[in-house]
Order: sequence, then C-alpha cells, then structure tokens
Amino acid sequence: MTAPFRSAGLLKEIMAGYYAKGEEAKARGIPVAWVTAVFPVEIIYAAGLFPYYPENFGALAAARKVAEKLSAAAEARGYYADLCGYARCGLGDAYAKEHPVGEILKPDLVLACNTQCGSLQKWFEGAGRFYRAPYFLLDAPFLEGASTALIKRYFVDQIEEMIDFIEVYTDRQFDFDRLGEVLFLANEACRLWNEILDTAALSPAPFGFFDACFHMAPIVTLRGTQAAVEYYRELKKELEERVEKKVYAVPGERFKLYWDHIPVWPRLRWFSDLFARHGALVAVSQYTHSWAHRFDLERPLESLAENYTEAFVNRGFEVRVQLKIDLMMRYGVDGFVLFSNRSCKPTSFGLYDKRRIISERTGLPGIVFEADMADQRYFAEEQIGEKFRVFFDHLKTRTGKV
Amino acid sequence: MQGREILAEFARILSDPASVIRDDAVREPVKIIGHLMADVPEELVHAAGAHPFGIVLYDGTDLNRADAHLQTWACSPVRCAFGMALTGKLDFLDGLIVPVICDTTRTVYTLWKKVRPFNFTEAFLLPRQLYRPSARNYLLGEMGRLKARLEQFTDRRITARDLYRSIRLYNRNRALLRCLYDFHVRHPEVLGNRSVYDVIRASFLIPKEVHSDLVARLISALEQEAAGLKKKKEKPRVRVFVSGKLGEPPVLMDVLDQAGAVCVGDDLCTGSRYIAGDAAENGDPYVALADRQLDRLPAAFFANKQDRRDFMIKKVRETKANGVIFLHLKFCEPENYDYPYLEESLRAAGIPALRLETEVGNVSLGQIRTRVGAFVEMLEEGGGR
Repeated sequence: MTAPFRSAGLLKEIMAGYYAKGEEAKARGIPVAWVTAVFPVEIIYAAGLFPYYPENFGALAAARKVAEKLSAAAEARGYYADLCGYARCGLGDAYAKEHPVGEILKPDLVLACNTQCGSLQKWFEGAGRFYRAPYFLLDAPFLEGASTALIKRYFVDQIEEMIDFIEVYTDRQFDFDRLGEVLFLANEACRLWNEILDTAALSPAPFGFFDACFHMAPIVTLRGTQAAVEYYRELKKELEERVEKKVYAVPGERFKLYWDHIPVWPRLRWFSDLFARHGALVAVSQYTHSWAHRFDLERPLESLAENYTEAFVNRGFEVRVQLKIDLMMRYGVDGFVLFSNRSCKPTSFGLYDKRRIISERTGLPGIVFEADMADQRYFAEEQIGEKFRVFFDHLKTRTGKV
Repeated sequence: MQGREILAEFARILSDPASVIRDDAVREPVKIIGHLMADVPEELVHAAGAHPFGIVLYDGTDLNRADAHLQTWACSPVRCAFGMALTGKLDFLDGLIVPVICDTTRTVYTLWKKVRPFNFTEAFLLPRQLYRPSARNYLLGEMGRLKARLEQFTDRRITARDLYRSIRLYNRNRALLRCLYDFHVRHPEVLGNRSVYDVIRASFLIPKEVHSDLVARLISALEQEAAGLKKKKEKPRVRVFVSGKLGEPPVLMDVLDQAGAVCVGDDLCTGSRYIAGDAAENGDPYVALADRQLDRLPAAFFANKQDRRDFMIKKVRETKANGVIFLHLKFCEPENYDYPYLEESLRAAGIPALRLETEVGNVSLGQIRTRVGAFVEMLEEGGGR
C-alpha cells in the first residue's frame, strides 16, 4: 500500500471524535438512529439525531478478521452462513458474549433504505425487534432505466413520512433551514471526495482504490458535516503535494485496473500486495464512487429522492454496464476485475454476462472471481491466486508492458 | 364424475400444463403471459385479454442450466425457472412478468431480459413497505403503469367493466379453493395435503373458468364421498401450520400425508397466501386490487401491515394446529431473516416448530421423512404443550 498519509492522523482523530459523539449521545439522551450507507442521512443530521452505520461495524469486524466469530453467534440462532456477512456481524454482536471489535452502538431508531439491498431491510427490521427500537423503511423501487415521476413522488412522500416520524419521536419541529446547510456541506464533501478519486486517473497516480477504502469513512459517515469537508480539503492538499514530489500509490505503475465492487476486507492487504507486485494500480471502483451526490438546494426533498434512489446498485443491467464502462474509460484502465461477492447478490448476479459484454464492447480483458467481503470461509486462496496469475500474464502479453 | 377422476384430471394438467393451454388456445388464441411468484395482479393480465400463467411447476433437471449466467447461490426456484427458459421449455409463453420482491428477483429480472427476452418482459415493482399511505398511492400508480404496458402489448384497452369481470372470476375461484381447503381440513382422509395443494397449484396454470368448474365438481363429489364413508374410528391426524415461500418440492406434502399430519393452514405463496382475501367488487377496480395486495397475508419480503408473528400465532390458535413446519428454501434471504424471530416467538408461545431446508429438484427425502416423522410423533404425544 501507499506510503502512510499525513492526513491519516487527522482521519483517526475525526473518526474517534465521531464515535465519542455516539457515546455522548447515549449519555445525553440524543437519539441514536441506525442508518444504511445509501440513505438520506442529511435528514438525520438536520434533525439533530446521531446517525450510526452498522455496515461500518461489519466492515471493521471483517477487516480485523473476526467476522466468522461474530457470525457464529448469529448462526447459532438460525441465521445461515449464506446471508450477508455484515448482517451476520451485526446480528451476531447482539447475541455474542464476546465483542472483539467493541459493541455495536444500540439504536433508539432503526432507519433502513433498501436502495442497496433487501438484506439491509431485513437485518434492520430484525435489529429493531431485538433492540425494541421503532423501525422505518424507506423503500426505493428498482429503476430499470431512467427514473420516473411516480417513483420520485413515492420516495419524496416517504421522506415526508419519515420527517413526521422523527418529529413525533423527538417532539421537535424539523428545521428545513438546517437541512439546507447540511446539504451544502454534503455537496462540498462529495465534490472534494470525487476530485480526490479522480487523481487516480493521473499516470502514475498518487492515489488508488485501496487508499480510497482507507479514507472513505468520513464520506460515508460524516457527509453533511464540516468535519468531512475539512478532512477532504486536507487530503486533497496532501495529494497535490504528492504529485509535486512524485510520490505514487504504486511505485513503477504499469497498469490501471477497474475493480467491482467492494473490497475483500479481511484480504485488503493480500490484494493490494498482489496488485502492487504486478505494478498494477486499482484506480477505480463503483463502490467508492457511490458517494458522488449533488444536491439541489432549491428542491431539497426531490433532490434527495433522486440521489438516493438512482444509485448504481438499484439500476438495470444495461445502465450498470454503461456506468462501469464510463468509469473504465474515464480512468483509462487496462483491464477489470469483477468480484462475485457471496454477501451481496445485488452487485454479483449478472456479473458473468457483464464480464463478457464489457470485454466485447471495450476490448479490455477482465475476470470474475468469487469470495466474500467479510467471511474468509469463502476465500479459496490458491484458486484465486491462480486466476489472477493467468489474468496478469494475459494482461502483460496484451499490453506489451512487462 | 367421481372425485378420483377429477383429481386425475388435475394430475394430467400438472403433468403437462402447456398442452392444456395450447388446446384451449386453439379454440381462442390469446397471449400467454408467465409470472414468477408472487403477487402479480393476475386479474389485470386477464382483463387485457391475456392468459396469466404462474410459473409454479419446476423441472428440476433444468436447475443447472442457468449456471453460465447466474451463481449457484441464487435460490433454486429462480435458477430453475430461468434455466427452463434457457432450454426452451417456456417458449410457449408470449411474455413474462417478474414481481420485484427481493434482491434475486430484482437482479435476475434484468439479467433474464438481457439474455433471453420474451416479446413482453416486465417487472412489477411492488412497494416493499405496505403499512404507510405512500405505499397505496404508489401501488395504484404502478398498477396503472403495468396496465398501460399490457394494453400496449395486447393492443386492447382494459375497461373498468373488463377488470370487474376478471375480479369476479378470480374471487369466485379463490372462494371455491377456500371451500376445498376447508373440506380438506375436515376430511384429510378423503382429500390429503398433496391433493389440495396440487389443486391450488393448478389454479396458476389453466383458465379460471375451467379450474373453477373442476373445483366446484370436485367439492360436491368429495362431499358425497365423505357422507358415504362409514364412521370408522380413525386416529386423529396431527395438525400442522406450514410457513414459507413455496410448497416446494410438492412431494413434501406426500411426506406429511404419510406421516399422518394434516396441514390446517399456511402462509405459502402457492397455498393460502394465494387463495385468501378477495378484491372488492365495487368502487374503483384498481383501488380494489391495490387494497387486496396491501392486505394479503404478511410475508417475509415486505414490511407488512400485520406482524408475521402475531398473524402466525393467531392462525395456529384458530386452526388448533399442534405445531408449525417452516419450509425454508435454501438461499431465500427474507425467510431466513424472519426465522429466528418467529421461532423464538413460537417457543415463547409454547408452539413446537420444525425447520426443513428445501430446494427445487434437490432434496434428500430420506432425511426429511425421518425428521417429519419424529416431529409428528412428538406432537402426537403432546410434545411442547
């Protein structure tokens, strides 16, 4: 991986601050609202609640290689090991006696949006029952092509229902002026984040996908706050310095690759080393590009509805192929890797045909490999290693870059 | 006709439904539109002059035929239906409607359409939360969208009159099936589990007029048969409530019959969830269909109006079921997420439960037989009470 970033210290500081605020919220009686990653959290910040992301908890447990341990507690209750790894970590933590990554922050409200998947919908529903916290589902119908007035209207209606739900719960009027400020800050953070991601298109590049995975916590968690804006300003500044000083993400970068979608968290290092050995920079992934929101402050609710229903994971086959190809072209990649993730049917089903079609349309070589983002029981190291060896041989022959 | 003969007719329909529809289509050619489970408004398809054909018969030999396109960890009914389409077994269909109720239907719909489209391949985008006012407004809009697409495809306007005619036809069929189910509960020795669920499955396949006529005749034939039976002292059967998405594979119902258990209720999409609840026959027909949808038996893939636990416990009490059998289709996530909660709730209520993991075309029947046998025996002895 890239030489350590100076900003890493600041990242640690602001994330520690975020988690401390969560504890403080509990102590001071500020409601803790569980939310999903693709969720109009701007509403939650504007309402003065504390948003907590159980998916981050899952990713943390996965990266620390303890997902199987937490999952065991869920499996003992009748959840099968073929469910989403994050969900098994979250549900497992509720039942587990040991908490290897600390305890999940208990919710007062459980708010789920199913743009990403039905797993979150069901996991959160179950958590709501377990913790006896009111559950609210923001339902995002599937968008095969362009969005429709009907679906936008439905989602806006639901945001309004959610605002009612929060007003009743907090016994406080929702502050739309505050929402405007939060949206402005979210726009700023998203703009900076995307400018940072774009530096991976430089050849050689100072930043890549694995760096993005490390630095993404604030854009997921603190989108809509000043802290996220300040953090990404610092990081951007540091990247500009790195370009000047010629400090690159992969020394001797020869290839750029597209990765779809999420990392194999317990093998983050394994993969980043593998790619670095071949002089390959994973430059881009749809995953880290998920936080590319642009909100229209003149029509906040409509704009939230558009941004949170139109995420790539909720789109039809053809739209998703095109989005992938667009990113590949924008970052000038030499090939692509598609991750068939046992935990995630919405991103995985259809990848076999997508691989073929993308190669036909772009001429780029690509592979699909199978594993799990959290659970190492699904990681067949030798087979995967062999698959990548063949892929890199092919890539070298094709491009003539040895 | 005797009851046996009518049941044999149902068996013939189930063994080759395509031929039955083809015969019928020769008389009056109509477009045949297939749909996956569950919750597609068949009345709307029917009112468009098309024949809705529920894909409920899975040919297990095609389970692996979609493997080049779809991971093997998708649920078996979807893998199998998609596989059957790829091998041409669904070529008699003119169209397909996929209800988007989970991640698998959401992704496979769009994949299927890419790889092996029909002339008409549509999604029905149901609201996944059913308990707030927004759901009803949206569902009405989505039905309007589907109506327009159907009209375009069949080149025929759906009038309110057409739709009411279809609603009445479908209501009548459900009423007859409820009546048959009720007979089955009273006389499992005359009409066993396998037979009653087979009759319900046949209802997805053939025109409702034909099906209702057969069911009406079946009921009267069986009532006569039951009346003529000598009152012999038969050991009372153990009463079970069956919960899950589909009653798959159908042979499971034979296993229950052989074990001496009678299904007295269920929430299966190929069972009570299909036959419970009618659409109002007055007012706006779209409102009637939407309200029927929102009030259907609670299911795992929705945030329901009524809690599934409350529904299940109430049903178990009402039907005096001795226990619950969960049919868990492997890789069905919504069902799996609900299970621990339901199991815990049943345990707290003193209701014994058994979970069977099943798959289309691929179950180890011996093991299931043993487990069902042991469970039924335990219930006979009053276990868990």
